Amino acid sequence: MVNLTIDDKQVTAPKTATIYDAAKLNGIKIPILCHDKKLKPFGACRMCLVEVEQMKGRQIPACTTPVTEGMIIRTSTPDIVKARKMVLELLLLNHPLDCPVCDKSGDCDLQNLTYEYKVNSNRFKDEKFNHEIDYNNPLIERDMNRCVLCGKCARICDEIVSFGALTFIDRGIETKIGCEFDDALNCEFCGSCISVCPVGSLLARPFKHKARFWALTKHTSVCGFCGTGCNLTLGVKDNKVLTTIYDENQGFHKGQLCVRGRFGYQFINSTKRLTTPLVKKNNRLVEASWDEALEIVAARLKGGSDVAALATPRLTNEELALFKKLLLDNVGTKNFDHAAGYAHAALTEGFARSFGASASSATIPDIQKCDFLLVIKTDAYETHPVVGFEINMAVKNNGVKLSILSDKKGKLSKLPDAVTLVHRPGSEVAVLNAIAKTILDEKLADGSAASLSGYAELEQALAAFDADTVAAQSGLAAADIKKLAAEYAAAGKALILFPSGQPYTGHTAELASAVANLAILTGKYGKEGCGVLCLSEKNNSQGAVDMGFFAQDGGMNGLEILEACTNGGVKTLFIAGENPLTSYPDRTKVKAALEAVEFLVVSELFLTETAAMADVVLPVCSFAEKEGTFTSTDRRVQFFKPAIRKGAQTKTDFDVFSSLIKRLGGQAPASPAAQFAEIAAGTAGYQGLSHVSLRNDGAFAAVAMTPALVVPKAAAPIVAEQGKLALVVGSALYHSGTLSQYGEGPMHVCPEGYIEVSRSDAAAGKIAENDLVTVSSATGSVQLKAKVSLRIPAGVAFAPYHFSEAPVNTIWAGQPVTMVTVSK
Amino acid sequence: MSDAVAQQAEEKEPEVDLSIADAVIDKYIDIPGNLMPVLQGVQDEYGYVPRIVADHIAERLNVYPSQIYGVLTFYAQFHLKPRGRFIIRVCVGTACHVQGAPRIVETFFDKLGIGHAETTPDLRFTFEKVACLGACGMAPLAMVNDSTYGGMTVQKVGEIVSDYSQRPLK
Repeated sequence: MVNLTIDDKQVTAPKTATIYDAAKLNGIKIPILCHDKKLKPFGACRMCLVEVEQMKGRQIPACTTPVTEGMIIRTSTPDIVKARKMVLELLLLNHPLDCPVCDKSGDCDLQNLTYEYKVNSNRFKDEKFNHEIDYNNPLIERDMNRCVLCGKCARICDEIVSFGALTFIDRGIETKIGCEFDDALNCEFCGSCISVCPVGSLLARPFKHKARFWALTKHTSVCGFCGTGCNLTLGVKDNKVLTTIYDENQGFHKGQLCVRGRFGYQFINSTKRLTTPLVKKNNRLVEASWDEALEIVAARLKGGSDVAALATPRLTNEELALFKKLLLDNVGTKNFDHAAGYAHAALTEGFARSFGASASSATIPDIQKCDFLLVIKTDAYETHPVVGFEINMAVKNNGVKLSILSDKKGKLSKLPDAVTLVHRPGSEVAVLNAIAKTILDEKLADGSAASLSGYAELEQALAAFDADTVAAQSGLAAADIKKLAAEYAAAGKALILFPSGQPYTGHTAELASAVANLAILTGKYGKEGCGVLCLSEKNNSQGAVDMGFFAQDGGMNGLEILEACTNGGVKTLFIAGENPLTSYPDRTKVKAALEAVEFLVVSELFLTETAAMADVVLPVCSFAEKEGTFTSTDRRVQFFKPAIRKGAQTKTDFDVFSSLIKRLGGQAPASPAAQFAEIAAGTAGYQGLSHVSLRNDGAFAAVAMTPALVVPKAAAPIVAEQGKLALVVGSALYHSGTLSQYGEGPMHVCPEGYIEVSRSDAAAGKIAENDLVTVSSATGSVQLKAKVSLRIPAGVAFAPYHFSEAPVNTIWAGQPVTMVTVSK
Repeated sequence: MSDAVAQQAEEKEPEVDLSIADAVIDKYIDIPGNLMPVLQGVQDEYGYVPRIVADHIAERLNVYPSQIYGVLTFYAQFHLKPRGRFIIRVCVGTACHVQGAPRIVETFFDKLGIGHAETTPDLRFTFEKVACLGACGMAPLAMVNDSTYGGMTVQKVGEIVSDYSQRPLK
């Protein structure tokens, strides 16, 4: 710590702090335009000039000057005020004064400073800029006439997002922020640039001219898309969520969001939302009252074990726990599951066997603390973009060594010194086993590993995974596998990430165990910066596992339930928010099951294609209309309150389940808070948590681990077939599940399904970008737009699964790799 | 997306041979801070930096395409459009100015039919006004590629243009 004096106040600050940081830390405000606490100091705007007694006669930029012992700083002497006023005059010289129509008005740093420093006249004269405004994309408007060249947008796009869409172009007075060859902006549209822009140069187009900033009520919430658990501030007016607002102090991610979080909120106030219960009469869904609908459902739920349920892991912990209670205690069935069963097997089977706990042994903040990061599949960036930002920062700022083991390259492969091992699709478990074998053979294992249960069996089983054999199967070099093993074992703190979820049928329990073995063998778990993090797909995937909402004690899992619907074992199916018709593998089978089941009730936000097949549809609430908790992928339990009132004829799932419990003669907790109290009492790691204790900040639920070594079964190597491509299914960057289809932002930039093929396969099939191609497999065929991509190796194809139009599950029946033909 | 852009660029500039750029990149690939020498090297080879080459460099050096464009537009030494075989530079610095440089410039404009920083359609001449060539004793001064012409007159302008018009383009 360093002692210094700021404005006659004795203060202390960390050695590494700048004058600006030290002042801020001690509640002294220094005005600034070009600084964001997440970015490196830049010193562009000259608003933060201060006087330092030891450097008399000079005006020092506070944001780039480090503090030294005994510094005496004055932040607002008459000279400083005069200098700042001039900086503002110079900025306003070219900046158009169109504040009345500018959406930034009220939230604009330049406007606020102009007001604060009373710059009501300008001694200089110059022309305004006449740059063309970039309206070429539907999400981000770029008006370079308003730009003050603080460079924050270009820096955040490089330092955190690592996309590098924006940069300073040209020179001198002509300098502006632009893209390569001054093109229109075409990036991943995370909107980070908008969040840091101090003026109205970068604006969110969906919010344009919707409301004045000061008319918005700000509600903090938790993002309802992926499992990262980002915190949101929703801007609400007239009971409508109109925008997301940046708050640099929010969450571990400091307000950073991805395209879904920032622009995907429109589903909340979509006109497509269901507004009243629907009941099937004469083969048509007609409007009904809640009483009528619930009465029908309650009568059907008396079926006992021929009732089954599928719930989405987007429900709150309270709702999932209550639903489980309804099914177990009041209906009397064990047949319930979420996310098709296999999608959470990495946690409930893999980690349960390997760590003795169905949760990851590491957290997202560990990414910044490790020395070595192994990412299985580059899709981590696509499934959890904000985790991707954390990886970017870890590599760029902390010098973390990044290795990627994947069936295709991705954005992470472009990070400085990132090593990407591209293996044949489906061979990841074999490769991980070969790494484990190398660790054992080269005596790189931790001394205590040999005493763990399963060591001997593992050692024996790994004999088949010689690096040379696996190299031949996977298309990698044996030396690369061995090098990866050596680097992982040698690293002081090493972390492994892998994605799981509905499209990752390859990422089963086996993959989780194979990954866990590496951490357990080398003793790299349960410590800071070490461990394994399974990136589970949905906002409350981990919560659904923690609540035990999956098949146990002989209950049927998701896929078995559908099977039983077809053969009559299940007569009543309650689907809470899932859309199996699009998201579960093998659409033909799913459709047959939903048609065969006697009675189908769906509670949903929208009339999805699954809901359209139901006998009763119950309109329920989105996360913005209810309260409860979500548990993020790294087991951070976060509480949120409603941001808007729910519709007159919609109910929260919590209310639906508790009315059903009452109708079945049971007793339900009075409120989500009461339900959470029950959860906290009965769930490992949740002890001591309550809605009140979580009100301001989330808390990590502790994970108690009892490690064991398990033999992971590797799938048989994929046999290449002449004229066929190995299709791997996954997530697209802009989407999450099927819900993001109702968010305008994601749909603007990625409106339809596609198939990515390599340049060489495209050339061989004479396929050009955006051609409509027919993709056929053993189970069916679908027409998709082609994308020709550098990141895909020859012989491999990639397709995201989110889209109801042209659903990929017509060709994909749940195998890790599907052989397909692609033709024009 | 950059793939699509690259494809478009390929259609627009089919004559660009990327193997020339590859040879330059190979030479500097392992050196830290290699962007400047690579850009200078490719400009020496192609006479300018074609867009497809810029995108190719971005891909091979793993630098953002935007950043490359930023560098290309920051330094006056880089050119994004094809340049003439003969680059005529006329000094308009103080010494040359008082010795009548404006008239020399005007005459070049007349004879070549192009303005400052422009290139004749046949790619023979590019004309540039420059601030100082460092030989004020020879004012007014002009240069054609590496040859220097001191004590310029209106007459000499005509001689230079007709001389270089006769020379082979390759």
